[in-house]
Amino acid sequence: MDVVLQQFVNGVTVGGFYALIALGYTMVYGVLKLINFAHGDLCILAAFIGLSVLTTGIGGANAGALMVALAFVVAAVAVGIAGTVLELTAYRPLRKAHRLSAVVSALGASMLIENGIMLVWGPQVKVFPSNLLPHISWSFAGASISFVQVLIIGGSLLLMAGLYYYVHHTRFGTAIRAAAIDQDAARLMGINVNRVITSVFIVGPALGAVGGLFVGLYYREAYFNMGWIYGLNAFIAAIIGGIGNIPGAMVGGLLLGLFNAFAAGYVSSTWQEAITFALLIAILLVRPTGILGERVAEKI
Amino acid sequence: MAAAAAGRGGRLALARRALGPLMWVAGLAVPIVLASSWVSILAIFAIYAVVALSQDIVLGRAGMYDMGHAVYFGVGAYVTAILNTRFHWPIFATWPVAIVVAAVIGVALSAPIVKLRGDYLLVATIGFNIIFVLAMSNDVFGLTGGPDGIFGVGVPHVLSLALSSQGALFYLDWLVLALVLLIMRNLERSRVGRVFRYLKEDELAATTLGVDARYYKILAFAIGAGLAGAAGTLFAVQLASVSPGSFVFTESVTLFAIVLVGGQASIPGVLLGTALMFVVPQVFRGLAQYRYFAFGIAMILVMVLRPQGIWPRRRSGP
Amino acid sequence: MSGAALLELHDIGISFGGLRAVDALSFAVDEGQIKGLIGPNGAGKTTVFNMVTGVYRPTDGRIRFAGEDITGRSPHRVAARGIMRTFQTIRLFAGMTVLENVLAGQHLRTRQTWWQSLLATPGQRREEAELVERTLATLERLDLADVANEVATALPYGMQRRVELARTLVADPKLLILDEPAAGLNDMESSALNDTIRGIRDAGVTVLLVEHDMNVVMNVTDSIVVINFGRKIAEGTPGEIQTHPAVVEAYLGQDDDEEVAT
Repeated sequence: MDVVLQQFVNGVTVGGFYALIALGYTMVYGVLKLINFAHGDLCILAAFIGLSVLTTGIGGANAGALMVALAFVVAAVAVGIAGTVLELTAYRPLRKAHRLSAVVSALGASMLIENGIMLVWGPQVKVFPSNLLPHISWSFAGASISFVQVLIIGGSLLLMAGLYYYVHHTRFGTAIRAAAIDQDAARLMGINVNRVITSVFIVGPALGAVGGLFVGLYYREAYFNMGWIYGLNAFIAAIIGGIGNIPGAMVGGLLLGLFNAFAAGYVSSTWQEAITFALLIAILLVRPTGILGERVAEKI
Repeated sequence: MAAAAAGRGGRLALARRALGPLMWVAGLAVPIVLASSWVSILAIFAIYAVVALSQDIVLGRAGMYDMGHAVYFGVGAYVTAILNTRFHWPIFATWPVAIVVAAVIGVALSAPIVKLRGDYLLVATIGFNIIFVLAMSNDVFGLTGGPDGIFGVGVPHVLSLALSSQGALFYLDWLVLALVLLIMRNLERSRVGRVFRYLKEDELAATTLGVDARYYKILAFAIGAGLAGAAGTLFAVQLASVSPGSFVFTESVTLFAIVLVGGQASIPGVLLGTALMFVVPQVFRGLAQYRYFAFGIAMILVMVLRPQGIWPRRRSGP
Repeated sequence: MSGAALLELHDIGISFGGLRAVDALSFAVDEGQIKGLIGPNGAGKTTVFNMVTGVYRPTDGRIRFAGEDITGRSPHRVAARGIMRTFQTIRLFAGMTVLENVLAGQHLRTRQTWWQSLLATPGQRREEAELVERTLATLERLDLADVANEVATALPYGMQRRVELARTLVADPKLLILDEPAAGLNDMESSALNDTIRGIRDAGVTVLLVEHDMNVVMNVTDSIVVINFGRKIAEGTPGEIQTHPAVVEAYLGQDDDEEVAT
């Protein structure tokens, strides 16, 4: 029983950052119907930025809560800005063009960011120093939960709750939801759709940035082509939950995290990946709109 | 066709149409004139060009978002490698098997997913690609050789003559390229080619005219897969080995990008795209680190400045 | 002039979620007839067409064509039975010439297999030439031969309608379904359309059309079915329909303050 509980704890932790990254995909897809292939790389960029912030001027002692908070803020802001720039240069000019053009542009952006990271931080794996966060863990009911896990779970839940509140209980959040349902109608209602899109490209990447930094802190490493793996997995989570659906991304992330944690005990990691993708294909065939997604009819 | 084609540019059009064949003929001089490193590069170009053209059939012509096309390339390569190294089949004997197996896998993978909407189809094909690479890396049935792949693939023999020199292999690849270009041209002038275009433009209208959309979509995958498989055999011979790393998802992304950046359903566009994506990096190997960074920028720029592709399809001909 | 029933709708119904778009609709189109289907906007006319042509599957009822049950058959199978249709919003293939568009109508009569296509066998090439010839002949009939090599979607609206029509005619259908063929046409073009439709019927094609333009409906149809809110409210000759109280009410509402625009 304690093994199960431990795996549950691990799963919720991993699910937390998958959910944060998945939210970025789902928000962008909801509004633009575009798979932002560069999103995963943006999130990992945050891990690198955070690492740089944390390792400058630390010395031997613990990083200190302030420093950690600063790292998150800097990473989130930087990546939020990067997301905005990305939208302005690579996607906005292609609004009127064929959908595929934006897909290729996104792929190009992904390549650019990934290799940009490599050029700046080098191709080797960067290790996160072990003294960044306190090494405390708490045990309960036969399982243990570490400080970093608490940080991730707590942080993820807080941010997800915040986003949910923002999207469902503020005026601008409603504008975002409206634009996701029907951009033209939203525009006709007086919603500044461009502003909605820009904000989605700030909030989505910013949340994903926190997720990316969580990844770095949890596994204590970062390498430049990590973006693809985490991005793809988070993307699958978004699809499972229902792409374009915000609670869906949260649910999908959580489910994926739990699946990874429980499967790790019984199945080798490569087959885990294969099963994840097989699951994805199954969902696409059986219920492509995902667990929480809505079916949209097409008028002929 | 002549009556309808009258008045379509006359002499200029003729010159334009002759350009391709002329360039191909010029290519025949390559092993004689250029250094052997160049001959290798152009041999690889010919192989990738065939794969890219096969990708274009599914994506550029039939309009389906296939981002896992490297699978079929890989299937062809692995079939040849396995039959040749494990079962000692001559290369040319493995070729039709590679093509058929690739085509069959094309049918098997596409059949469940062709009904999916664009983006979802894309994600499904990515999934298949990843599963394929995982399977190949894990030495399935003890045949596929694990992450290092299979070594020691032989060379083709024509009667008793071994095509073992780079020059000979180049001619083989160049010939296959010509055949594939011919097939592409025939495709354009046939019902199958037209149906692909109808499906891409307006599937609903096409079905009300009697087009069995599902059949033709799967057919597009089958033909695309078969041609990619054929190229796979040539690839295995060229490298004398196969490994899963040559067929990873990023290769599919490159093929996808070639079609979009070069020009959908445009033969010169796809060839140009292949040259840019595969040949140019070979040439600028010194600046390797900046290569993909530059690619990324180039892809964005091309799509923003010229979304129809660098060399879009000419609007003429049935 | 009219023969046996070619198309029969028996108690057809369809619901979209909670909305009952068509309910208990029955009518028949006799061979050689020109039948009209009219009704206020949103009455369900295009939905009926979509059910007949297999785009939607009716939740209730049966559709019979030439004696055969075609309910719920997919669009390409319905087309193979001999039913062709045009669309309310013209659906020509973008980026393709008039010739290429109309060639599409011959899909069902083409015999070449995929491998014959890839290898360009002599038989395949011969068939291609025949297809083009037949297509050009149809274009001649509809006065479109001059624009055969123009991009279809670049032509004036009235011409695009004729191209769409040519595409269906080249398939030699038994039943032709026209969805608002006069939409966007001026009076002169509407009259020409009437002649065209009569010509089509005289050539042996049965016609079922949806139309708002009363110039067309009243002058060219033999019999009219009127529907509102997905239900049949009247059926009869044009003369009978014009004075039918239920029809008048459906179009004008219960207050007869407004002018009738015909």
